[in-house]
Amino acid sequence: MNPLKTDSELVPSARKEGQFVIAALCGEIDLHNSPELRHVILTLMQQNAPQRLVLNLMQVPYMDSSAVAVLVEALQKMRKVGGKIFLTNLQPRVQGLLEIARLSSVFTIVLDEPEALTP
Amino acid sequence: MEAMAGKADATMSKVEPQSERSAPQRPAALKLRVTSDPAFLAPVRRSVEHFSGQAGLDVKAAGELGLCVNEAMANVTRHAYGGATDKPVEVDVDFDGEAVRVRLRDWGHGHEPPTEPKHDPLKPGGIGLVCLKQLLDGFEFTKLPDGMRLTMKRNLNHGRAS
Repeated sequence: MNPLKTDSELVPSARKEGQFVIAALCGEIDLHNSPELRHVILTLMQQNAPQRLVLNLMQVPYMDSSAVAVLVEALQKMRKVGGKIFLTNLQPRVQGLLEIARLSSVFTIVLDEPEALTP
Repeated sequence: MEAMAGKADATMSKVEPQSERSAPQRPAALKLRVTSDPAFLAPVRRSVEHFSGQAGLDVKAAGELGLCVNEAMANVTRHAYGGATDKPVEVDVDFDGEAVRVRLRDWGHGHEPPTEPKHDPLKPGGIGLVCLKQLLDGFEFTKLPDGMRLTMKRNLNHGRAS
């Protein structure tokens, strides 16, 4: 396991495990701080070139459409390189917004990190 | 406008709720006067959710109304004000015993969004209007000489007319 530095309270911990980058997001995310989230996630992807990106949303009780747009951008970049993105530990409000946005079947949503890391 | 603090909580002092109604069984109406800075999204959303809870909406319903207010305010900043963060935004919230109403006023370009939201899940934009359509019991854009007013309504008995 290789810890990764992010310098952002929105992504307080991240690590690399083989082809996986696993990042834990934290806090309510809206248009005020979603640009920071975008910068952190895209930097993690650029610097580590993962084939699998796992975003643990356990500590994200709320996000708005600007945060969803960041996730979609990450998804599309992963798809371009044949990679895959997993969302884990979704909280009810986040799950609800993904359903409204018709994205709950677009992302690979799993229960928790171990399920995402299972081959 | 002075620089905003990094944390939304720090902006709460700029949200000025004022009491308009004295009926003891109903929450006093809120008048929130903020700017188009996204730092105000969270404090305004939380104020609306708290008010909605006092009015009798359950946690899920209050959260859905809060999301709609968040999305509508963000659209004001992005579209009506072209990204400017120092423009005035007024949010008035009241409860008539049957529904919570939120009126969002801006002084932007006054262009009404399309009635039927065209939302492609993999393209940015459009989610806000989808939220309004799915989560509210009514909403109306009113074009004014100097901007726009959006009125949003969420019934206590969601899905029933009031």
